[in-house]
This record gives sequence, C-alpha cells and structure tokens, in this order.
Amino acid sequence: MVKVSNVVKKYGDLIALDHLSFEIQKGIIFGLLGVNGAGKSTILSVLNGLSPIESGEIEVFGLDIKKDIEKIRQISSIIPQNLAFYDKLSVQENLDFFGKIQNATKENYTKAIEINGLKEVLKQRASTLSGGQKRRLNIAIGLLNDPKIIYFDEPTVGIDTKSRNEILKSIKSYKDFGTTVVYTSHYLNEIEFICDEVAILSHGKLVTQEKVSEAGNLEKQFLELTGNQDD
Amino acid sequence: MISAMIKKEFLLVLRDKKALALLFVMPAIFILIISVAMRDVFTGNSVSFNVSLKNLDGSAISKELSSNILKNRSFHQVAYDKAQIVITIPKNYVKKKRKLNIEIKDTLKSDEIELFKAKLLKDIVSLKLKIIKNRLMEFSDEAAMALDTVSLDSANLFDIKYNKNNDIPNSTQQSVPSWIVFGMFFMITPIATVFINERKQNTLSRLSSMNVSAYAMTLSKIVPYLVIAQIQAWIMIGVGMYIVPLFDTPALAINGSVLALIFLSFSLSVSVVGLAMLIAVNANTTEQASTIGGILSILLGAIGGVMVPKFIMPHSMQLLANISPMSWGLDGFLDIFLKGGDIVMVLNESLMLLLFGAIALGISIVILKYKIKQGFE
Repeated sequence: MVKVSNVVKKYGDLIALDHLSFEIQKGIIFGLLGVNGAGKSTILSVLNGLSPIESGEIEVFGLDIKKDIEKIRQISSIIPQNLAFYDKLSVQENLDFFGKIQNATKENYTKAIEINGLKEVLKQRASTLSGGQKRRLNIAIGLLNDPKIIYFDEPTVGIDTKSRNEILKSIKSYKDFGTTVVYTSHYLNEIEFICDEVAILSHGKLVTQEKVSEAGNLEKQFLELTGNQDD
Repeated sequence: MISAMIKKEFLLVLRDKKALALLFVMPAIFILIISVAMRDVFTGNSVSFNVSLKNLDGSAISKELSSNILKNRSFHQVAYDKAQIVITIPKNYVKKKRKLNIEIKDTLKSDEIELFKAKLLKDIVSLKLKIIKNRLMEFSDEAAMALDTVSLDSANLFDIKYNKNNDIPNSTQQSVPSWIVFGMFFMITPIATVFINERKQNTLSRLSSMNVSAYAMTLSKIVPYLVIAQIQAWIMIGVGMYIVPLFDTPALAINGSVLALIFLSFSLSVSVVGLAMLIAVNANTTEQASTIGGILSILLGAIGGVMVPKFIMPHSMQLLANISPMSWGLDGFLDIFLKGGDIVMVLNESLMLLLFGAIALGISIVILKYKIKQGFE
C-alpha cells in the first residue's frame, strides 16, 4: 500500500504538489489523470525519492520515504517518460548493464525480455529500434529488479496505435504477478482500458479519486473537474 | 555494480568515432606536423641567409674572399631577386682598401643581422689572418706559424657547460609532451558530453533511482578515462619515437625513467578527468561543456607553454605559466625526455597534478550529490 499525506512540492515559487493526499491499494493498476503540468510526473519522482518534498508524509509498503529510500527503491521501479537508456549500446548490453546495477536474476532478465517482446532485437543497437521497441526497452529495464510497485510516466507518448496497444496489454498483465502499477496519462481511454482506480489531478491538487468501474462517464467528469483545459 | 558501469563507459567511448578521432588521431597528426615544421627552428639549422654575391674586384684576395663566403654553410648563394642580403665586393677592394657593400633586402631582426655580420666577419678575419701569415713567412717562418694557433672557431676557444634548466628541446621533444598534455585535455569534451547526455535523457536520474551513488557515478567515469589517457600518451610517444623520424626529423628519446613517465601521465590524467567532471556537472548542455572545455584548454595551453615553448617566453610569462596544470605536465615530461628525469625529479609536478585533480573531483562529487538530492531539477 502507498500512502501520500499532505505532500507539498515546489519548484521555486511554483507549487507543483499542493497538500496532495491519496492512497493506493496493493496489486491494483492506479491511474493518475491530469493535463500537462497537473503534477503527475512530479508525484512519481517524489514517490521514488528522486525529488525532495517541502512537507508531508509518504509511506510505500510500510516504508517511510525519508528514512528508507534505499529499501523503497529496491522494491519499486520508475519508467521515465524519456527514453532513459544508452543509444550506443545494444538492447542486450543495455539490459545487462541495468540488470547488473540492480542485481537482476536470470529469471527477471528473461521475464523482462519476454513480456516486452525484445527477444528478436537483443543484438540490435538501441538507436536503430523503432519508436515502439524503444518504449518497450525503456519498460523492460524497469522490470529487471522484479519490483513490487512500478511507476509508469506516460509510457505511450509518441508511438503508433499498434505499439501503444501492445504496451497497454503488457502493463495490464503485471497485475497477474501481483505487481502494483501506478500509471500516469492524459489519455482518458488508456486509463479506462487498464486502470482499476483513478485519481484526477489539477494544479497539483487531488480533484477526485474513485474506482474506474464506478466512475461513470469519466470524460465528462474529467472536463468538469479540471475545467476546459485541453490535453 | 562498478565494473558494469566502467564497462558501459568503455563501450560508449569506443563507439564514439568522433571522440576517438579527437583523442587519438588529432594529437598524433599534430605531433607529426609540428615536429617536422619546427625541426629547423629548434635545432638552430635555420641560421642561414640567402645571399647574392657580386665580385667587382679582380684581385686574387677578393676571389678568395668570394670563395670563402660561398663555402660558408650559413650563406646560400641565390639570384639577386631572391636574396635576403646582397654582398658586393667593390672594384679596387684590395688596392684602395674599400669596404664591402652590404644591402639588406629582406626584413631581418636585429639579432639576425648581428649574426650575419659575425659570420661574414669570421670569413674576412680568416682571410686577413692568412694574408698576414703569408707576409710574415717572408720574414720568419716561426712567427708565421704562431698565427696557426689563432682560431676563430668557438668550439676551439671555449667549453660551454649548460645548466640543466637551460636545456632546449628539439622539435620532437617539444611537440610530443605538448601534444600529450594538450591531447589529454581533449578528453574534457567526450567525458562531459556523455555525462550531460545521461543527465538530459534521465539516465542518471534512472541510475539514481536504482541506488547508484554520486561516488559510483564519478568513479565509473574516472577509471575508463584514466586507462584511455595512458593509451593516448603511449601512442603519442610511439608517434614521436617511430613515425616522426620517417620524416627526417629527430626521434623522441626517453632519456629518463619509464616509471616516472607512467606516474606523471597518470597524475596528468587525474587532473584532466577532475576538470572534465567539474565542467560536466556544472554545464547545462553539451554545447556549453564543449565551449567551456575548449576555451579552458586553449587558455591553459597558451599560458602553460604548449603553444609557445616556455623557454622563449619572457620571464614574467614563464612565471605566469606556473599556474597552468598543462605547464606542470609539460615540465615533467621535458624533465623525463630531456634531462633523464626519474620519479623524484617529477614528484613536484605529479603531486600538484594529483592535488588539482583530487580537488576538482571532490568539488564535482559535492555538486553531483546536491544535484541528485534535488532530482536534477
């Protein structure tokens, strides 16, 4: 379980997270919905201890983010929006490198390759992969430590529909392994397709949090709650 | 974990063709060009003048003087229009005891003119001594023979013992150390570029989320580049020893200790990697890092005697040179190549380079830790 209580995060004078509080249950896919600048990426950085907070409390699977950040990082993984790997290395070299950094087991290594369909391109230089394959490599690296919780920061940005659907299906399958997934997006249909629960953010504040199955017309709610901001 | 990071760093630099050209090909070419181009300047063979000699006097003495001038290795007889200096032996030179006419056509420095005068004077005095000797022989063979003891060759007149600090390198001895030092500073660009790209693409942030510390990130950069720097230094030495002589230019000789050479080049590489890391953690873009790295390298090189040898700098500039790490490295290499230096001889320079590198790395780690804590915001 993840507990976020009254968290404030500022970038200079800009308040990125404004007394934000919510809870995420274990084993679900939790969507964070909001327009650009709503605070989605910021909360993911904060949850992984990559960005310090001004005030508030965060607990991840019973571990306090201020005291146990190393332990939290061992059981969690963040899939950044940018393609955070080495273009000049092959797919295999990238996976070997990040795997060794995280002491990945052979089983995890194989699982990450299979789930993301990278077996055929292992020898290929990362720079020569298609957009969708690059996204999948970016995700595979995040699975190498067999995390209990994975944070996805808009993983389908800039890719074609086919690759997007494949990625969404694979993310949905993580639930079968008991993994908790936190998924940020500004695409409503993605949230509706894969998430169990959704929190809508606006200007760093929580607007609402509810189960997707009980949310009714999510699009209408999203537009009503966040105003007429385009996505 | 560290071994994986070091391996990654090696792979990245080995696959960067531009970086490899910058680190290995460019300094090697520079060594070759500069050594060959500056060959005569450093050996002093350039002390020669293109002269046009006109003898308007028909006497035997003037003919002999002409012959002596033409035999002088400092004078090259050329056509009038190509001459730097025109020497005319006037009509009645001997009979009316006239002076030689000298016309300096080229722009020569005052010390070059003085040198020309000394060379010509030597020819004239030699001839006059010969005439005096012949005259004396008419009266006394013994007195005439006494003139044989008069020599105008400086090597017969005085022994010069040079202070070791005044040793002047030949072109290869000057250019190889200069380009080892300068070439090593080229590493700033690839180190900083890889680091800034990692930061921009969130790879550093990702590594940070995998509990990789600032120490590990820095160490993984240091080790590969220290190895690359050693390879680079030995390739440059190899060029000086085996390639440069193929172009009729003196070969580089390691007169000193090889151990001292390894110690010095290691110390130099520590200072370079330290400076590179300092630039890398502070620069926001690769362009910024390349510009800062390039300007710093050129400035440190210009001050430190890489571009203009320190021994021809004025005293005040030689003192200023001592603030540049490139000068410490260069002095150390010259000590080894020129003066047969050992570890003790290059200890000061090496320790200063190590200290410089350690301070730069220390500051880099502090800044990097701060930036990691702030999430590279």
